Amino acid sequence: MTDKTILTVDNLALSYGSNPILKGVSMHLRRGEVVSLLGPSGSGKTTLLRAVAGLEQPHTGSVTIAGRAIYDAAANVDIPAEKRELGLVFQSYALWPHKTVFDNVAYPLLLRKVAQNEIAQRVHKALKNLGLDHLAERYPHQLSGGQQQRVSIARALVYNPPVILLDEPLSNLDAKMREEARAWLRNLIVEMQLSALVVTHDQSEAMAMSDRILLLNGGVIEQQGTPTEMYGQPQTYFVADFMGSNNVMQGRIADIRGGMARIDLDNGLSVWGLRRTNAAIGQGALAVVRVEQVQLADTPGENRTEVELSTSMFLGDRYEYVFHAGKDLLRAWGKRHEDAGKRWLEFPPEAVWVF
Amino acid sequence: MLQTLPRRVVVALLALSVFFPIGLVLYQSVLSGPFFMPATTLSLESFVFIFEDPDFWSATKNTFAIAIGMSLIAIPLGAILAFIMVRTDLPGRRWLETPIMIPIFVSPVVLAFGYVVSLGPVGFFSVWFQELFGSVPWNIYSLASIIVIAGLTHVPHVYLYSSSALRNLGSDVEEAARLSGASPFRVARDVSLPMVSPALLYVGVLVFFLGFEIFGLPLVLGDPEGHLVLTTYLYKLTNKLGTPSYHLMAAVATCIIAVTFPLVLLQRALLKTAQRFVAMKGKSARQRPLALGVWRWVAFALILGWLFVTVIVPVSGIALRSVVSSWGQGVKLLDVLTLDHFHAVFEEATMIRAIVNSILIGTLGGALAVGGYLAIGLVTHRKNDGITRFVDYVILTPRAVPGLMAGLAVFWVFLFVPFLAPLRSTLFSVWFAYAVVWLAYGMRLIQSALMQVGPELEEAGRLVGASRARVSRDITVPLIRNGLLGAWLLVFMIFEREYSTGVYLLSPGTEVIGAQIVSLWASGAVDVVAALSLINMALVGIGLAVALRFGVKLHD
Ligand SMILES: Nc1ncnc2c1ncn2[C@@H]1O[C@H](COP(=O)(O)OP(=O)(O)O)[C@@H](O)[C@H]1O
Ligand SMILES: [Mg+2]
Repeated sequence: MTDKTILTVDNLALSYGSNPILKGVSMHLRRGEVVSLLGPSGSGKTTLLRAVAGLEQPHTGSVTIAGRAIYDAAANVDIPAEKRELGLVFQSYALWPHKTVFDNVAYPLLLRKVAQNEIAQRVHKALKNLGLDHLAERYPHQLSGGQQQRVSIARALVYNPPVILLDEPLSNLDAKMREEARAWLRNLIVEMQLSALVVTHDQSEAMAMSDRILLLNGGVIEQQGTPTEMYGQPQTYFVADFMGSNNVMQGRIADIRGGMARIDLDNGLSVWGLRRTNAAIGQGALAVVRVEQVQLADTPGENRTEVELSTSMFLGDRYEYVFHAGKDLLRAWGKRHEDAGKRWLEFPPEAVWVF
Repeated sequence: MLQTLPRRVVVALLALSVFFPIGLVLYQSVLSGPFFMPATTLSLESFVFIFEDPDFWSATKNTFAIAIGMSLIAIPLGAILAFIMVRTDLPGRRWLETPIMIPIFVSPVVLAFGYVVSLGPVGFFSVWFQELFGSVPWNIYSLASIIVIAGLTHVPHVYLYSSSALRNLGSDVEEAARLSGASPFRVARDVSLPMVSPALLYVGVLVFFLGFEIFGLPLVLGDPEGHLVLTTYLYKLTNKLGTPSYHLMAAVATCIIAVTFPLVLLQRALLKTAQRFVAMKGKSARQRPLALGVWRWVAFALILGWLFVTVIVPVSGIALRSVVSSWGQGVKLLDVLTLDHFHAVFEEATMIRAIVNSILIGTLGGALAVGGYLAIGLVTHRKNDGITRFVDYVILTPRAVPGLMAGLAVFWVFLFVPFLAPLRSTLFSVWFAYAVVWLAYGMRLIQSALMQVGPELEEAGRLVGASRARVSRDITVPLIRNGLLGAWLLVFMIFEREYSTGVYLLSPGTEVIGAQIVSLWASGAVDVVAALSLINMALVGIGLAVALRFGVKLHD
């Protein structure tokens, strides 16, 4: 770890009763970096975030913030949540309904015995940064969802925590607002040079917002990397499947040539792809290809195979074609409406992964 | 969420308050005489004595008869009432909701007295009935009458739990059954009833349990024909032998606890299953009520009939009796109207003290009790450790001890512990007994208020730097203000209604209306009892009116 590292989690494990939830997670966050914890529901993202915050009790491993051990099972260190100086934005925002916006944001400063006039000044500055200055005297229930979220962020930032943790920050906004809020939040984090750990279950949200992504699966980190690495070079089937829209087909390895493998699919097709498995010839494997990588063609050719187009669906910015190939339904995207009938699909070998 | 030291102090005080009195009862039951006598030794002779007493066995038999009989009456009626109120288009449902709950808030001894003056041999309704039809077909003092009255007055308890189970039952599961072809009746039989059956089972055990510790009704109604139940048997033991027969009373109390304590544990287990069932509820879109057609008027008449018998008859009897000098065949109402009974009450210092004390114990005592319950609630709030589980059981324990015995046990504690002795004849001893007896009730109110607070609101407090104690002070408690106000009002009503707990603590200075009524009833002072009963109901009524005004839910 470089000296730019602000948060280190080392081999953290946590169980509820006899049920292991985190099975040894290690990660780090650098100063000014946004890292997403991505994973399907129940994979332990929230649990990891809460363990870092001190709200859950791990049983092994350690957590260090800016060089200070806040949790270390071996050394018996466990700093209580209120002494960890972290900022957490809750999924539900968790604004105190009996306090005004101003009082919500002022409370952390009040606890730190900051002088009254300084509190007023800092709270107003925090509210102004988030465009909330005119709402200071309102109560949380008088705000929209987006405004509540910003108050919640203001409250988490007002005492300048070294790291800010966000749990599904966009999930309570409606679909349309979510995309705008995503851009706004990324911009805010970058402008204020925050170090942020963001939990999300939405891969496009994770890719858009973060510098690095950690993909959790069943309490372990399946793969981590930049968004382009995660999307373009998945190391396991789970990662490939999770990060994008795919055609997934079952079959058996028919041929192996260095890093490439040919797979005879159960649907009758046969394609070449990048070999990501140790399976030998004759053994079962999966071929995965992103929907946008599959090209529709009117004529036969290299890497093309004949399929039956059954329908086209209009998605607004593009069309989605649905093909029958044996028992599989395959999908591809294009710009025009296409009539049903015989077509060819091109599977570029460098875009197909064989797991 | 307090720090460790205050937490330990609260839990230790709680455990002491609960286990010391009960422990004293159990200890006293295996002594050969009252514990303060120097010559007492460990012995089982008290059990031998009561087991050889035929009265004990007839009391046991009657107790079971009442507990089973009233369950058989209250459970079907309460379940039907709940179904009609929650699921059908009965006219005036909203308006009926509060009157239905009244029997819960009227002191049973007052209610029993009401039945005597209304339906007793020379009761108002008996006399009117006789003038109209020539004779009266009922005998209010028979065991059967006691069972029927106990059954009818416990219908609200059943109603309470089954209606909330029915409300929680998502209408989607019923609609799904309708759409797959089931008639409304089949839906009720195949879907609704099985889904609320855990709640019904729970309430069945609850009513049986309440029947086991019933005191006021058999005390008043069972006396003339000598029908004893275990609690009244215990009460009569006081006078039976002349000398303080503490060891015998403790032996009876131990026998009662031996039955009630397992019942309390059973209720706890059943409640957990019932809640697990409820947790499976679907989203309940607004339910379309079942159209009853002409049957709605039959149902309406049935409910009014029940309300007439359980509320109007006894309450109006007391109201009338408190303003007439005498009553009987051929007496004209206008000739006997008087306010003398109230004058008598307000001229006697004891009575005024009883009223003032009752008000004090309800208001101030209620607030103090709620404060204590809140402290216990906070030290266990969101802490799932050994101490919390221990507190859970401690809270449950006093439930198994009927008020009469709890009052006795507290009386002994104040007799036994030297530095507490001066407090025995102060209101503190009564308050302490009340607070312990209603511990489980009060804790349920507090805990359900605390459960309403989203955990993340408290966690957010921790994250921004507040200690557990600060979070309690600045976030948790302010958030449950309304729940605390509601708890205070409900505890006020319960404390006004309470009668048996104060019986053994009654002494100059500690009079409360309920205990005073029990003691005056024994001396036959019907006039004053009537006036006091009315005043008692008025106090409860004021509490109820204020509670409704503030929108306090009378049940969860
Ligand atoms: N309080 C709890 N008790 C027991 N199991 C829990 C508790 N909270 C979460 N879990 C389990 O832990 C796993 C991880 O949960 P969580 O971290 O919330 O997942 P995510 O945020 O990735 O959806 C889930 O399987 C969940 O069922
Ligand atoms: Mg989560």
